[in-house]
Amino acid sequence: MNRRSYLKSIAILSGVGAISFSIFKGFELTKPFNINDLSGDRLLIAELVEIIIPETDTPGAKAAMVHDYLINVMINCNSAKQQRKFLSGLEDLKDYSLDHYKKDFLKCSAAEQYAVVEYFSTHTGYSYKILNKIDNKLFGAPFYTKLRQLTVEGFCQSQLGATKALAYDYIPQTFEACIPIKPNQKSWATK
Amino acid sequence: MIYISDKNKLDNSYDAIVIGSGISGGWAAMELCKKGLKTLLLERGRDVKHIQDYPTAMLNPWDFKLGFNNTNADMERDSVQGSAYDPATKHFFVSDADHPYIQEKPFNWFRGYQVGGRSLTWGRQCYRLSDLDFEANKKEGIAVDWPIRYKDIAPWYSYAESHIGVSGQKENLSQLPDGEFLTPMELNCIEKHLGDSIRKNDQNRLVTIARVANLTRGWDNRGPCQNRNLCSRGCPFGGYFSSNSSTIPAAMATGNLTLRPFSIVTEILYDEHKKKAKGVRIIDTLTNEVHEFFSKIVFVNASTIATAGLLLNSTSSRFPNGFGNDSDQIGRNLMDHHSAAGASGMHEGYQDMYYKGRRPSGFLIPRFRNLKDNEKLDFKRGYNIQGHGERQEWMDKSYGLTGFGKDFKQQLTTPGPWTVWMAGWGECLPYQDNMVTLDPDLKDKWGQPLLKVDFSFRDNETKMMNDIRDRSAEMLEAAGFKDVGSFNYNRPGGSTIHEMGTARMGTDPKTSVLNKFNQMHEVDNVFITDGSCMTSSASQNPSLTYMALTARACNYAVEQLKNGKI
Repeated sequence: MNRRSYLKSIAILSGVGAISFSIFKGFELTKPFNINDLSGDRLLIAELVEIIIPETDTPGAKAAMVHDYLINVMINCNSAKQQRKFLSGLEDLKDYSLDHYKKDFLKCSAAEQYAVVEYFSTHTGYSYKILNKIDNKLFGAPFYTKLRQLTVEGFCQSQLGATKALAYDYIPQTFEACIPIKPNQKSWATK
Repeated sequence: MIYISDKNKLDNSYDAIVIGSGISGGWAAMELCKKGLKTLLLERGRDVKHIQDYPTAMLNPWDFKLGFNNTNADMERDSVQGSAYDPATKHFFVSDADHPYIQEKPFNWFRGYQVGGRSLTWGRQCYRLSDLDFEANKKEGIAVDWPIRYKDIAPWYSYAESHIGVSGQKENLSQLPDGEFLTPMELNCIEKHLGDSIRKNDQNRLVTIARVANLTRGWDNRGPCQNRNLCSRGCPFGGYFSSNSSTIPAAMATGNLTLRPFSIVTEILYDEHKKKAKGVRIIDTLTNEVHEFFSKIVFVNASTIATAGLLLNSTSSRFPNGFGNDSDQIGRNLMDHHSAAGASGMHEGYQDMYYKGRRPSGFLIPRFRNLKDNEKLDFKRGYNIQGHGERQEWMDKSYGLTGFGKDFKQQLTTPGPWTVWMAGWGECLPYQDNMVTLDPDLKDKWGQPLLKVDFSFRDNETKMMNDIRDRSAEMLEAAGFKDVGSFNYNRPGGSTIHEMGTARMGTDPKTSVLNKFNQMHEVDNVFITDGSCMTSSASQNPSLTYMALTARACNYAVEQLKNGKI
């Protein structure tokens, strides 16, 4: 647990609660930010989405340009608090790489990058579900949750994702209600 | 604003004027034109031509650069409509910023101001009301009695169904009469499984395929449905019924139709001497000019809330409180079905089965509550349950997955377990104080008073929602579903988009606005056949009933006209 999330859990779980919680958040929430800065991290985001959905026998998220989708959606379709949270999480991730590997994330080896994402995927939000709910509502979904969600929707709705990794049926014509599943059946891309 | 007063009255005269081109207005226009009346169809929004004005209909998911997310600017401008549209359907919804209304309590008023109205985006479910519904008010002493019974409307249901094309399964139920059906769509494995279990546990309940205006074969030069499930974008195959694909082209083909988009009707004009409506006044939204049009009969099909507003705004020395409003019922008794309560669950069986194609419909569990008088439930009336079964695809499956990388991708891209989601579409009782009024001060950009909606669900609806949750969860559990969870989304009124009741039918002019032929008690050449005519809401999706009542009223109106009665 890093310092920030440690402080957060202490603040919430100890009875001191509201006051220290709001002071902490107050700091995080008033720092000015510019969401367009996200474009500057395009290469970094491309690596992150590829680690989440890698190329296998089908294309991965990077080839499907999911990083561009993610940046576009984050800039145009997310609230300021969600944008702030995402940018802040991305900074945390950069800090974490520097702290642990003394290198920028992009300079880390594949194994090191994997470990960084592993860390963030398992240290997202609080272990108490109700706190996650409150936190998501007040401050937006956690960085990694949002990263993964946008990677998933960007990939599954991309041309490569929908047509290669999933099964895309542009004009089905007929509906077959109950049919035996085929070997290696992929999910339908749309419903 | 320029007032055009030098128009030759003859140029502006028609046999009939229809206000609104949505699902009921399209029907009125078609019926009147087919019966030989020169008809002016007025629509406040833009024209939408079948096929050519469906810009998103053939797009792929990746053609939407922001996926199906609305932009921040969209959501800021369209705080209500934005909760119903996405980038694929946005162009069929109004902008809330341009078309404000006042919510005394939270109320979602979803609107499509264009030729075809909301018939482009409707849910396409077609269910007949029965005498269980038509007799309920009288039996329970609620509101007023319907002036019609099932036998009065049954042939018109058949007439409407035969025109629009409804696929469905006959079930021989008295509470949900069968209709003229095309071949039904098919239930999938999990839906059949649920149906078998429900039938086994209670002989009064069953699962049937939804009855929908989606064509399972070619019909009236349209369709068949291609199972794309993209109906709300407009269908280039004409696979479902809309005013645009069906009634308006049919009306146009008679040579009797004049379609005038960009025309906001602000008033129905009353002739004090003849004691009839003489026509309407409109604002042309392209030129800001005011025009008057004249006709022998007027059909009002502006949709429930707008129709109430138009009548209330049409004042004269005879009708100081609104057109034909001696009863003071116009604007009152606003109803909307609730559809926020239900349950969902996951089933571990049928892992080796799947489906192909995207059926644009789900299943229906017809009403099974309060079919008899002695059920002793803590609520009146009933609900039907609508839902669908599917194997979890990537979106829903992703929530349950942990990790990332190769295994995650593998899991994400293969079918998950079967799930069923279902919710109760429930009757809402008519309450006098659930109502639409005109704001005395605030005006829209055309100088017309803003509409004020004051609506809430009450005790009966709340208790019914509790029953829906419990019964839904029970049925899923009895069918072996796991992780069954019941819910109540607590959505505000209007969310089901079944507004109705603001100019109700009845036998007594003192307590109702329309007679049994949807004719105004007090102005006999005005007919109202949109949702505002409904005396009670029943629990069935109402559009089919509006269509049947419209055809019936048109038939009556033209007979009366020919016999010199109106």
